[in-house]
Parts: sequence; structure tokens; C-alpha cells
Amino acid sequence: MTTAVLSTPPRHTTRDSLRQTFALSKRSTLEILRQPALIAPSLIFPLFFAALGASSFGRAVGKLDGLKDVSSFLEFSLASTLAQGVLFGSTTGGTALATDIENGFMDRLLASPSTRVGILVGRLAGGSVFGALQSLFFILALYPFGVRIQGGIIGALIMVLSGALIAMSIGGFMTAMALKTGSSEAVQGAFPLVFISLFFSSAFFPRESMTGAYKAIANYNPLSYLVEGLRVLTLQGLTSQATAQALLIPIAIGVGSIALSLRQLSKRLAQQ
Amino acid sequence: MSTTNQKMLPLEPPSAGGSLFASSNMLTLRAMRAIQRVPATFLPTLAMPIFQAVAFAGTYFAITKIPGFPTDRSINWFLSLSGCMGGAFSGLGLGFSAIRDIESGFMDRLRMAPTPRVALLLGPLLSSLVRTFVVLTTVLGVGYIFGARPTQGVLGILMFYLAGFGLAIVATGWGLGLAYRFRDMRGAALMQLTLFLVLFTSSAQAPMSMMQGWLLHVARVNPATNILRLSRQGFLNPPVGGVSWENTWGGLLAIVVLGTLTMWFAYTGLRKLEQ
Amino acid sequence: MTSTPIQGAPIVVQSLVRHFGSGDNLVTAVDGVDLVVEQGEIFGFLGPNGAGKSTIVRMLTTLLKPTAGHALVAGYDIVKQADLVRRSIGVALQDSAIDPLMTGTELLELQAVLYGIPRAKMHERANTLLERVGLTVAADRRVITYSGGMRRRLDLALSLIHEPTVLFLDEPTTGLDPMSRLALWEEVRRLNREGTTVFLTTQYLEEADQLADRVAIIDHGRIVRQGVPKELKAKVGAPTLVINVSVHQTDLAKSVLARFGDMRPTDEGSVAVGLVAGATGVAEVVRALDEARIDLHHLELNEPSLDDVFAEATGHRLEGATPTEAK
Repeated sequence: MTTAVLSTPPRHTTRDSLRQTFALSKRSTLEILRQPALIAPSLIFPLFFAALGASSFGRAVGKLDGLKDVSSFLEFSLASTLAQGVLFGSTTGGTALATDIENGFMDRLLASPSTRVGILVGRLAGGSVFGALQSLFFILALYPFGVRIQGGIIGALIMVLSGALIAMSIGGFMTAMALKTGSSEAVQGAFPLVFISLFFSSAFFPRESMTGAYKAIANYNPLSYLVEGLRVLTLQGLTSQATAQALLIPIAIGVGSIALSLRQLSKRLAQQ
Repeated sequence: MSTTNQKMLPLEPPSAGGSLFASSNMLTLRAMRAIQRVPATFLPTLAMPIFQAVAFAGTYFAITKIPGFPTDRSINWFLSLSGCMGGAFSGLGLGFSAIRDIESGFMDRLRMAPTPRVALLLGPLLSSLVRTFVVLTTVLGVGYIFGARPTQGVLGILMFYLAGFGLAIVATGWGLGLAYRFRDMRGAALMQLTLFLVLFTSSAQAPMSMMQGWLLHVARVNPATNILRLSRQGFLNPPVGGVSWENTWGGLLAIVVLGTLTMWFAYTGLRKLEQ
Repeated sequence: MTSTPIQGAPIVVQSLVRHFGSGDNLVTAVDGVDLVVEQGEIFGFLGPNGAGKSTIVRMLTTLLKPTAGHALVAGYDIVKQADLVRRSIGVALQDSAIDPLMTGTELLELQAVLYGIPRAKMHERANTLLERVGLTVAADRRVITYSGGMRRRLDLALSLIHEPTVLFLDEPTTGLDPMSRLALWEEVRRLNREGTTVFLTTQYLEEADQLADRVAIIDHGRIVRQGVPKELKAKVGAPTLVINVSVHQTDLAKSVLARFGDMRPTDEGSVAVGLVAGATGVAEVVRALDEARIDLHHLELNEPSLDDVFAEATGHRLEGATPTEAK
């Protein structure tokens, strides 16, 4: 840190900061969308699992607890497909940030008089846009197979917004990881943890059908309630509780994860 | 330019050449040391099947309640998927190692050595079988803790190992073949993706009797279904389970045919490195 | 062992060709190369990066099949008798490919088994080689802890495990510090004195000059010169006079120097001429430049070097001709 100020640097106006943040957001959005090899798996795999589940567990519909009022397993799967895809995609932003750190682009950004927080917000915004696009993609892709959203257009919009928020909240963890380790490999290594936490929830099968310790874990896992919120919007219709679950849970996770990544950013800046 | 030739060439080469057995063993030892020194490379191969067994058995706990399901323990059902997955990814691990060896140039050293070309395949194959043994045994142990109980005694457990080893052979051949052809990490992505797709479009998640639609058609012709049936016979209740020739021959045939094809694929790939 | 005796040199290469790719992307890396390396010599193979040096070495060491042409190494055909070639040669490749997780001893043992050294002789052989390359103390450390020079020395030891009669060294000193380079040169000379024929590729003229009994210069996949370094240099004849002048006077300087001999290729910012009159002609050149009011920044007179041989043969200088310091 400098101890003597030789000349007063030009003051940042809020407008400057916003412009820079917007430019950085645009960069990271385009960066994600321009890498088909990175985004294709996050779109195709969840659909594959949805198709697999529908064929494998279709006979469970109407018979097992939690599936008795469901008309098709594919409709039941939309919520988990969406959550799974967005989680899958949310590593890209963190990995890209870690790569920026690895190849020195981050240092160049930090050396320029740009807004520090903008760097972070830019990344997360890019991830959110992608998360929203993914959600929309899954809703549209399953539509021809008879998957209808009982919550209507508004329900669908809430789901898309939820996708954006999930991407931001998980992206927050990934950027924190990237800032802490500066290694893209470490960020990718953290991905299984996210995936495991999704599996230990009611994302893929109804909580009512579970027992014992597994059910207890799913009961404590906030992702259960998030996916269940999305599921109610799909299967039953627009309710205020479902909307709250779909939006407030990712917001709450996001507040924590973004605070964590801001802390890591300031730690990294202090090391410069 | 001088034209003097003091000696008649060729002379008897100074090296006798490495033997198939000793060379393969040495290469296996090398792979084992790599695991011991950087366990992180092997850890995912070990952790993934365990996670899968526990997570699938927990998540899809209730499917055993569907009438006609061949076991009342969901872990009994999913244990074989994990065992086969473990065998497959143990094999692919050697494909990854081959890519690293090609990128680092170590493969050149091996290829320049006067040792039978088969030793360059047999070494990785043996180490993939050792890895698979570790994975299968761990999966069985963890499975037992989570409630898996064999229904057919030792013979059934042997079948579980046999299927895992079989998939390891198939995956080693496939992994090496792709590694020699792509020579970079694109090959690794393709190895994982293809094996993953083959394994999951079988009776991986649900028995054939429960399936509907497209998957039923794919799973019926998918050799992975046979290998899973071979693996599961010791953990399911008759008539679907139970150690029998009927439950065994399809899986054995699939292993022999696919194993031969993929190892041939690996051998021709090794030869292609010279092209 | 069925081996047809062929009287000849340890390395005989005839019209060797190697293409990569096909169609519009066809690249001819090696374009009809003929070579003979005699018994007991150090043969220097010189050329810029991408000239085809490594491709030829990869073919001679059985790693790559030729597109056309023939080659005999240690008297064996590199395609039809690849296994016999492998049993006869030792190779240390450019990116000394050593598994960083293994120790020096473990690598030597692996190499010994792959080359069929009996178990009883293996340890003795490994210890002798480790001592020879000065790695006895580091033998049980993992290679990841070795310096660049140590890795090259281990690589050399590995290539000698079966006491080969022909040794291929592909750019053995690239990236080494001057001390390590000298040590490796000394070791190569010693091996050669003991009777090993050495095929050495390098992009360093000095290395070829110091070590090689004969050299071949390759450019764009073709051999452009081949012979004893001294004779090749003598053929270039006149020493090279190099001057540095301001950029705007370059053309003028060229026209003046052209009166004293043939212009020679040189770095940008310099002008060079093959000074026919030799050292005695320098004074006259300086006078002529002065009369033309050319502001002379620097002047040097160089005896013909392999770089001049290269430049005369190809019309351009060898990039990175002098060893760069290691990091």
C-alpha cells in the first residue's frame, strides 16, 4: 500500500463505475457464450438425465409418495433439470476468473483505474445472464414433450429469474474459490461439491419417498426447498410460497457467497 | 567424404530386448507408484462410485416399493452400477495417463524401447485391474455399511468382481485407443462421455421390467445391460437375481467381445503413433 | 536372430522423405535426405527450428515411419527391422522425457527391464551410470527435484543402459547453463573416445563446431551442406566484414561495400560483405566509407564460421545460433 500520495488520482464518478461494470459484464457474458465446448455439456447433460429419468422411473408416477398427483415424470423433472444445468454452468465464470488470474489479465485490470467491485460484479452478471438463458432453454426444450408450467407465463418468468439468481449465488462461491486459489483447476475441483449437495436434496426424487438419514439431510438442505419451489410452479401453479422459495433461497445463498468473494477480493488486493 | 568401413554391420545388438512379462510388470509398478505418490489422481476414481452408490440408493430409495422390483434394498440395486462405473473409470484412468505420457514425451521413451508392443498395453491393463480391485472392494465395504447384503453368497460377490474387471478391460482398451489417436485432453473428454452414455443407457437406474419408451429399446441392445446383469445376480432376489448361467453368459460374452475389440483398437492406435 | 549382413556405416540414409497432413495441408518436413555417418564419428546435424532435424531423428529412432526412402541404423532397416534398431541404439530426446514422479534409480531400473538387462547386472549397471553422470547422491530423489542439467544427465545415463553402439542426442544442451553444457560436451567426447558413434542434432553452431567431426546442415527439409566443419568454412573463403551504420545510410553503405566483395546476409541494421582482400583490405574499406561521409558506428572482421557456411548455403542466418543463457 502506498504511504505517500504524489498526485491526486482522478476521482471515479458513479457513472464511470457503472460503465466499467457494464463493460466487464458484457465481456464475461460473451466469453461464456463464445465457448460452445464449455456450455454444451451444461445444456445437454441435464436433458439427457431428464430423458433417462422419465424412461426409468415413469412407472413410479402415481404409485410412490410425492409422485401420486404427478402426471408425468418429465414434468416432475423440469425443476431438477433447471437447477442441475444452472449449477453445472455456474463453474464457467469462476474458472474464467481463475484463468484471468493465472494468465495475468486480472493484474492488468487491477493496475487500471477500474472499479474493483466491478470486476466481481461483471463476472457474476455474466453468469446470471447465462443462467437465465439456460433456464429458458430447458423450459422450451421440454415443451414439445408435453411439459407445461401450471404457473403460466409469470411462473415461467419466475423460474428464469430463479435460474439467474442460482447462477449468481453459486457463481459467488466459485469466484471466491478462484480469488482464494487463483487456480482454474481448483475451481473445477470444487464443482463436485456443488453437485453432491444437489444430490443430497430432493432435487431428483420427492422428499416424501425418502427415509432415515438421507431424508434428514435433504430436510436440512436449502436446495431441496429451492427445487420444490420450482416444482410447485411447474406442477401446481403460481403460489406466493413457491415464488418465495424459488427466489429468496438463491438470494439468501447469494448474499453469503458474494460477501465471501468480496472478502477474498479484498484479501487478494491487500497482497498486491 | 571418407569411405572406410572397419566393421561388418550389423553387429549383434547390445540389448537382448525386454521380455513381455518383466516389462509389463515394471510398467504396472510405475502406475502403482504414481497413485501412491499423487493419490489425488486416483481419489476421484475411488470417491465417485462410492458417492454414486450412496446418493442413488438414498435418492431413489422408494423405487424398491414398486411392485415386482427385484430387491427390497435400494443399495443392493445401485451397488453394481457403482462397481461397473468404478471398473470403467479405473480403466479410463490409464487412458488419461497415456495422454499425459504422450504430452510429456515419456511415451516416446517407451516406444523406443526394444520391448514387445503388447507390453505397452499389458502394463496399463494390469494396473487398471489392480485399481479396479481396490475400487470394487471399497465400494463393497461402504455398500455393506449402508445396508447392502449379498443374497447369493461368495459366488455372487465373485460375479460382482468379474463384471467390474470386465468393464475395466473394456475401458482400458477404449481409453488407450482414444489416447493414442487424439493425443491430448480432447481424448479424455471423449472417453468419459462415451462410457458414461453407454453405462447409463442400460439398466443402470431401473430394471428392464420398469422401463418405458426409448430407453427400453436402447437398454435391450446395450451390452452394458448384460454386464450389469452379470454383476447384480448376487445382490438381487430370484427370479431376476440369483447366480445362474442365464444371468452370466450375456455379460461374459459382452466382456470378451468388447474387450477384444477395444484392446485391438488400442493396439492399432499404438501403431498409429508411428504414422 | 536372422540378420542380413550389410557392409556399411552405422547410419545410412537414402532419399528419406516425410510428409505430414494431406491435401492442401500437406507439409513436407523432410524432402529427400541422403546421409552417411561413419563408424566412430560425432556427426553434427545442424539447422534452425522446424528445419526437419527432429523429424529425421524420430524416423531414425523408429518413432515415426518415413513416407518414402530408406535408412539403415546399426545395419538394420528402420522400418522392417525396427526392433533390432531399437536394441542397438541409445536415444536422448529433446524434451528429456522423464517421469517427474519417479526417482533416478527407478527410471534406470525401468529402462533396464525394457532393454532386457538381466536382473543380476541391473543394479551394478545403474550404479556405474549414476556415478558416471554424477547423480549418485541424487539417485533416490524424485526427478521433479532435479535441475535442468541433472535431468539431461539422467537422460543420457538412461540412453546408455544397454551400452549402445550408436547414440542419438537430440539438442542435448538446449536451455542448459554454460557450465552444464561444457560438462555434457565432455561426456559426449568421452563416450565417443570409447567407440560410440554419436548423432547429435543442434541449433548451436558452436556446439557443432566444438564436437562434430563432420556436420550436415539442413534447411527446409533438405541437406544444403555436408562435410568437415573446417573444410566447409574454408570453402566460404573470405572473412566477413560487418559494419553498423545509421538506418538512413544503410543503402549507401551497401553500395560502397559492394566494391570489396560479395554482400552477405546479416542481421537488420548491419551490412556485411565477404572481404576478398582479407584483413589487409580493412583500411581501404574504412577510407572509402569515410569518403562517402558514412558515419561508422561499429566494425568487425570475422573469420568464416559455420554460420557463414549456413548463410552462404541458405541465404539467411541461423536464428538463435549462439546458445542463449538458461533461465
